[in-house]
Amino acid sequence: MSITTDGHHEKHALGIPMKRKEDPRFIEGRGRYVDDITLPNMLHMALVHSPYPHARIKNIDSSAALKVPGVLAVITGKDLEGAKLAWIPTFHGMDKQMVLAVGKVLYQYQEVAAVVATSREAAHDGAELVNVDYEPLDPVADPFTAKADKIILRDDRDNKTNHIYHWEVGDRAKTDAALAASEVKIKERMWFPRSHPAPLEPCGIVADMNKATGRLTLYITSQAPHAHRTVVSLVTGIPEDKIRLVSPDIGGGFGNKVPVYPGYVVAAAASVILGVPVKWIETRTENLTTTGFARDYHMDVEIGAGKDGKVKALKVSTIADHGAFDAAADPTKYPAGMFGICTGSYDFPTAFTDLDAYFTNKAPGGIAYRCSFRVTEASYAIERGMDLLANKLNMDPAELRKKNFIKKEQFPYKSPLGFVYDSGDYHATFEKALKKIGYDELRREQAEKRKRGELMGIGISTFTEVVGAGPSKYFDIMGIKMFDSAEVRIHPTGSGIIRTGTKAQGQGHETTWAQIVAEELGLDPQNFLVEEGDTDTAPYGLGTYASRSTPVAGAAVTLAARKIRDKARKIAAHLLEAAEADVEWKDYKFQVKGAPAKSVTMAQVAFAAYTNPAPGTEAGLEATYYYDPPNMTFPYGAYIAVVDIDKDTGGVKVRRFLAIDDCGTIINPMIVEGQVHGGLTEGFAIAFMQEIGYDKSGNALHTNFTEYLVPTALETPHWETDSTVTPSPHHPLGAKGVGESPNVGSPAAFVNAVMDALEPLGIRHIDMPLTREKVWRAIRDAEANTAKV
Amino acid sequence: MDLQYSGHDSIPAGKDKVWAFINDPAKVSTCLPDVIETKINDAHNFDATVKVAVGPVSGKFTFKVTLIPAASGDHMDLKISGGGFGSVVDLLAGADIKDGGGNTTTLDWTAKASMRGPVATVGGRVLDAQAKRIISTTFANVRTKVTEAAA
Repeated sequence: MSITTDGHHEKHALGIPMKRKEDPRFIEGRGRYVDDITLPNMLHMALVHSPYPHARIKNIDSSAALKVPGVLAVITGKDLEGAKLAWIPTFHGMDKQMVLAVGKVLYQYQEVAAVVATSREAAHDGAELVNVDYEPLDPVADPFTAKADKIILRDDRDNKTNHIYHWEVGDRAKTDAALAASEVKIKERMWFPRSHPAPLEPCGIVADMNKATGRLTLYITSQAPHAHRTVVSLVTGIPEDKIRLVSPDIGGGFGNKVPVYPGYVVAAAASVILGVPVKWIETRTENLTTTGFARDYHMDVEIGAGKDGKVKALKVSTIADHGAFDAAADPTKYPAGMFGICTGSYDFPTAFTDLDAYFTNKAPGGIAYRCSFRVTEASYAIERGMDLLANKLNMDPAELRKKNFIKKEQFPYKSPLGFVYDSGDYHATFEKALKKIGYDELRREQAEKRKRGELMGIGISTFTEVVGAGPSKYFDIMGIKMFDSAEVRIHPTGSGIIRTGTKAQGQGHETTWAQIVAEELGLDPQNFLVEEGDTDTAPYGLGTYASRSTPVAGAAVTLAARKIRDKARKIAAHLLEAAEADVEWKDYKFQVKGAPAKSVTMAQVAFAAYTNPAPGTEAGLEATYYYDPPNMTFPYGAYIAVVDIDKDTGGVKVRRFLAIDDCGTIINPMIVEGQVHGGLTEGFAIAFMQEIGYDKSGNALHTNFTEYLVPTALETPHWETDSTVTPSPHHPLGAKGVGESPNVGSPAAFVNAVMDALEPLGIRHIDMPLTREKVWRAIRDAEANTAKV
Repeated sequence: MDLQYSGHDSIPAGKDKVWAFINDPAKVSTCLPDVIETKINDAHNFDATVKVAVGPVSGKFTFKVTLIPAASGDHMDLKISGGGFGSVVDLLAGADIKDGGGNTTTLDWTAKASMRGPVATVGGRVLDAQAKRIISTTFANVRTKVTEAAA
């Protein structure tokens, strides 16, 4: 099976490392992003932010700003109150959030006012001169202080507490009893710090209210255009047919472009009022300080096991820092997302997990940063926990994992926390990883180095994800079921157009969807246009995040193509002058059974669909499919990191990193490899460099790229990648999704490797990011303690 | 970001002269470093526009300064609040003024500064160095100007 060098399709397209069709325009600088859009009479908007994390607004004086040449208007929360837009619902509809602050500000950099002007420069100059008089209030900068309820942050809520909700799943009594009875136990507090996706393109919008047509067009950085259109309609009362969202090329999303942000709302409101287009483009600092952060879970992880290493019970209790509003991006019925995947790849007889979320004076969020709703936190908890258990048992962490993996024959496997894993062969994938990296040889090398006092570590992460939200009986966002959709139309000459309810931000849908349709219909993937992101033309879908595109929309594309094939069979029978039952789809063409010489290609059928349709059939060749997945998919992987640590500086060098991923059937191996490279680089940054930190007074400490570090090619390790293939039994292609696996699985591998290196010093756990300073201090303290003994 | 400092300074001038000097906004305002312009509002208040360059934060900050002398004549509080470019700085300082003997006056002072916004993100060590520079320059200027006035 191959394609020729000019890209012409010979046999089939599935599994071919076809070059990405979208790349030429990106490489040549011809991508079209929101900030590239300039409309006649367009105005610009800038936002005024609070320097205080918690303060009462006494007065807002706009007079100096309005004197700046070009400044036309200053909008405040009070102005929005008149339009009932001062507050909007949060992502899952369980809370509300301020658009522009009313009464008081709840986090530093919160949006307080907006300045509309004839140029971007004038808008920002005006924003500098909006004089806001604040009365500072004591801040609450962490969830443990919030828990005490001495300062109540949200006086707008009836319930006067900082506690947002309690969530739990599993059998608490059985788990506690099993832990108590376990011969060996570990318990560790682990913090997965607040991080940020930091897409290179920040958020932005051009809102264009055309008062003549009555239509509001929003060019917007949206990972979920249809969902956003519905939210705009629900909040404003504008009928959905009068709203068009266009999400053009997006320079990275990673979950950051799923929520609705104040800048979008104010720009849209300004355009509606003024009747001219209004553009708002976020600054880097605004992106890092106000838009959706990720993680910020403080997890108490307990595992009980027998002396032989067989696990008996898992308990994870979490304190979650949600910031000023409960704006976590989780499906409505899953306030802690898919955290129940925390039993990972292991056969726990019982488990229990609970979580308490709190308001703090920090930016709101809790988005699924390259992660299917809290799966990264869960994966980190169990993979770190397994290494701590191996250490306690004085057992090789690879052996411990092999002893406890869910076995191939146990699938479909129901976990004690309720998920039904679709498929997997954890032992085979892990053995492949161990062999490929030369695990035994590395352990021998480590033993030699330890004799010389050198610090070398090997870290393993054998994670399982849960992605592809999701089945409509469980998953919705504000009541909208989490299906997805595809529309495929074949043109008379055998080319076509594919539209889906998803929206790529670098995932390569323009190539992947074309390959799927080409595979199903025996056509050339180069001859398919993929169009996403325009709500006027694309079928309704929930968008791209949480690794849901291939599991959900990819299935819809497949099944739409199969609907077309069903109709095409009738036309083929007509052309072949055979009964439909005698026509079979074989070798990518229709053949008369037993007479393969009598055949027609899909291209011939397509032409006939418009020129010579079969009697009793409609002209044309197109289909739409809305796919409601019967279950989630469960990609998994075996990752191994090898690190060397400089004792004197605390510097960690990642010498090797091997990622074996099993994402089921692979549609384009080159795209999968690219996704894995990107995700590993993000995981590396999270493990070693990045944190959205705050000081005790609530000041944001990492507000630009000099403080929130993004790895370049210089820092990024060399990635070794490979795969195994265990198809999902319920996906039409057997595909599971891969975009998030590397970000989910890699942080634990890095941290396990560093802790393995530091094990001879008696260091048990260090929270990420493992900066040189943190590692150096841990080594210094451990050596000082040893000296005292 | 909160910073706290305290110290002890000696000025080679009599207590009366020092007290008169630090009660005069027109004189005190000339002692702050990097001042671009000042506006005296009344006997105890003045506005100062100051050039600030701390890490990536660079530009003009405007401050309101209030002198709060104790009736006893041996203690002065100083309140400074203001900022710019989305940053806010609040400073509250107090000094006990005593006759040091030999025509000298001693100042035992404390200061607490709180910073919000971009200026707070540049890191404690950078801010600490800047704060110490501002304090030492201010006292040096007070010493020089009081001495000049006394001479």
